[in-house]
Order: sequence, then C-alpha cells, then structure tokens
Amino acid sequence: MIEVLAAGLQTTVQDAGRRVRALGVPAGGAADPGARRLANALVGNAAGAAGLELTLGGPTLRLHADTLLSVCGAPFDATLDGHPFPLWRAVPVRAGQTLTVAGTPLGARAFLAVRGGVGGQEVFGSVSTDLRGAFGGQGGRALRRGDRLTWTPRPPAQPPRAFIDTDLRTTLSAPHVLHVLPTPDATPDTLAALLGTAFTVSAQADRMGVRLRESVPAPHDPARVSVPNVPGMIQLPPDGRPILLLPDAGTHGGYPTPLAVVSADLPRLGQLRPGDTVTFRAVTLDWARVALHAQERGLRQAEAALRLWYGR
Amino acid sequence: MSAPTFMLLGDAALTVSTSLARELHADLRVRPLPGVHESVPALNLLTVLFDPLTLDGSTLEDTLRSRLAGLHVHAPTESRTLVIPVSFGEDVGPDLAWCAAHTQRSEAAFIAALCDLTLEVAFLGFTPGFAFLTGLPAGLQMPRLDAPRERVPPGSVALGGPWAGVYPRATPGGWRIVGHTAMEFFDLSRPEPVPWQPGDRVRFEALT
Repeated sequence: MIEVLAAGLQTTVQDAGRRVRALGVPAGGAADPGARRLANALVGNAAGAAGLELTLGGPTLRLHADTLLSVCGAPFDATLDGHPFPLWRAVPVRAGQTLTVAGTPLGARAFLAVRGGVGGQEVFGSVSTDLRGAFGGQGGRALRRGDRLTWTPRPPAQPPRAFIDTDLRTTLSAPHVLHVLPTPDATPDTLAALLGTAFTVSAQADRMGVRLRESVPAPHDPARVSVPNVPGMIQLPPDGRPILLLPDAGTHGGYPTPLAVVSADLPRLGQLRPGDTVTFRAVTLDWARVALHAQERGLRQAEAALRLWYGR
Repeated sequence: MSAPTFMLLGDAALTVSTSLARELHADLRVRPLPGVHESVPALNLLTVLFDPLTLDGSTLEDTLRSRLAGLHVHAPTESRTLVIPVSFGEDVGPDLAWCAAHTQRSEAAFIAALCDLTLEVAFLGFTPGFAFLTGLPAGLQMPRLDAPRERVPPGSVALGGPWAGVYPRATPGGWRIVGHTAMEFFDLSRPEPVPWQPGDRVRFEALT
C-alpha cells in the first residue's frame, strides 16, 4: 500500500489511456508516454501498467511493503528517507520508507512506476484519471493527502543496475523545436505566421492542452462544424493563440487545426512548462517516419534488455 | 454515393469524408484492421487513428477505399429507437419561451413539434456521452447563444444550430435550453455506460 502524506501539485494515476473517442471520451494516459514506458520497463512491468504522473511539484509517499520504484521524466529532486533517490533506474524500497519528491527545474512531468502497477478505477479498459470527467484512477481526481493506493503484488526481484541512457530520454530543455506536419486547414498566411513566430508556453497548460501566449492572425468561421481531434494537433481559436492538444483534450473541436505535431515529438508536449519557448518546424512525412522509427528502436532495445533481466 | 475524399492529419490519422462514415466506423469495429487503433465519426466523416510504425496513410487509404466500395447505407430499420422523457417548462428550460416565440408558435405547439420529430444520433463527442442529434427541420433550428453559459445543468435538453442534444453533465454550453431529462447518458455503473450510438433514432416525449 502507498500512503499519500502530501499530494504534490497534481499527481494522478495514469496508464496508456483508452480508445473510446467514438463515445466522446478523451484518450487520457501519461502525457509523456516515453517516460511511462521506460519507468515501467525498469521495474519489470508491461509498458501500459498504471503508475503515478507527477506534475511540477511531486508528492510525499510512504510505502507500506517492499517493492521496486522508478521515476522517469523531468529531473525532479527526490529523496528516500532523506537520501538522494536517483531517477531513470529501478530502486528497491522497503516497507516504512518515505519517498519525497520536490520540484523540477526543467520540464513538467515524471512517471513513477511501482513494480506490479498501481491500482485504480478502471473505465473503458484504462485506469487513467480523467480529471474533467471525474472518473478513473483514484476517484476520478488528483491524489489527496491521506489517500491509500494499492499495487498488484509481484514476486520480488533484484533491480537491474542499469540507468536509462540519456539518448532515450524525452528532450526537456527549451527552446523547444517541435516538428510539425501542416494539415489541409493551413492557409499559406497562417502557416507562415505559425512557423515564423517564437511562442511562449502560457500558464494555461494542463492535461487537456497547452496554450501559447503569442497570437497569429486567425481565420474565424462560426459556422464550422465539430470534427474529431487528434493527439498533438494545434488548434487555432479566434483569438489566434495556438493550443497544443494533450491526452485529455476533448474528442471533437470546431476550431481550425492547421498543424499536427509528429508522433515522435508527442512525449515532449507533456514536458512543456509555462515560460518555455516553442517554435514549429515543418517536416515531411518521410522525416516524421524516420524520426519515429529511430526513437522506437531505442525504446524497444531498452525494453527488451530489461525484460530479459526480469526473465519475462 | 459521392466519391470519398481522404486527408492525412499528421502522421498517425487519416480523415475520410464520405456519406458512409457511420457504416465504415461500424465495419471497422466488426472487422478491425491491423494497425488501426480506433476510428472517430463526425458528420459525414470518419477520422481513423493508426499506428504509424506498422501502417502508412496511403496503404490505409487503399484499404479503406475497398472497404467503402462494399458498404451500403444502413436502412433505418436496423437502428434502435431511444425515447427520452423530457420535462418542458420555464423552470428547467430557460430558453423555451424564446424558442417558441422565435418560431412563432405557442410553447405547447413548439413542444409538440419537437416531440413529433424522429431525430438521429449523427456522432458522439464534446464531452463523454454527448450526442449530436440531426433531423431538426430548418424551422426548428435555433441560433446559438451569443455568449455561452458558464454552466449548463446536467440533463438539459438543448438546441444549437442544426443540432439537438442533451448535456450529460454540467459543462459550459452555448445552446438554447428547452427542457430537462432525468435520463443518464454517461453512467459508469451500467455495463453499457453510454446508451446511444451513431445511427440510433431518438424521440423526445413530453412529461406532463
């Protein structure tokens, strides 16, 4: 059992999300899926096992049984009973020990995996917390002090000594250059403005979307009908301030979406932090494919090596 | 049927514009395609989300073209009809009087006209369980509010542009509220939390 001594800024149960957009239900799931996969692999979990997503300020957690933990993502300051707790590796934790996660100077989120996977309310095949819909995970809300979470017991295992290679980690440092593919909504003027502006991440940044501070001229068509949203799409509302869509974004939207961030850069959207600089660089479909395959190759090598260690 | 058109959205989604969007969505559920994660309908279009590691957009487009060639528009008899009991009145439908006046009807005549219609679920979206209902004749289509309400109570039956709908939970909303239903449209305690699907027929029944 995990006892929540302090909740942190916004700590939620997340896994790989759900696939029922056709019912109007957002995908959900860890906003940095790369960190989620690596953290799970480090403790011998399946890639989609549920863990805790930490946001800007981390929680304080007391573990009531022996287990393995790993934290991957933004470089949060963390201690275990007052001793430094390393990120990007599996750490054995004994019953009664307390993990204290403070803030992070870079990026926004990290994924904390527990060997066996954290429990929570399952909705449409996922325990991810949908904060707006108030379902999934721990009562459909962020953790609170006093919450008690369970995890699925698994046979004890020796942790691998390996750290995750820095090449595999999601890029965190600004300025962020996000690679994008224009959509049929991109008019030449809109495209030129979006690609030629250095944007700043505003304070309106949550699991639904990241709003940018600067504005570009935006077309306005009130008669436009709602169409499906896609992860990583960039919406342009009438005020011209772009919104990057994150996993909890609504399934449909009526604003033009002139750009879509390539799949390889989606994990970076979960690490955008208010104040960060963001620019967009248009790429080709081939570029997007090569980048994604290169990233996936690295992730799969790490996952395979860790599976071998755990004998799975 | 006019020829379908395809457009890629990024590297992992393909939108198909076709009058057979709903039928294609149903077909992909019955006969899933390897590499396709899910498909999401809207009005006369379907967005197909796929795994770009195992599938590319042009291969998917070819496959969907041949799937579409074998599909036919579903006869209305194949869909379910959902009857929604609605309380109409000023207390639960703050825009009822405005809507009746806008259509130059008495409130009773407006309610009768609305309940006389068979509407259809075009697609679900916006918020879990929310359905966009088509089938309003031009004379019953209401302009949206100039400024959306910050909070529309759950169960509100509302009209906006070409659509009718029911708000499953409290959200902001810009449609005109004419009544209220106690029916639940997103109830996780039920085996089927969302009671309607694209293609279902819907009627409102006035509670007296």
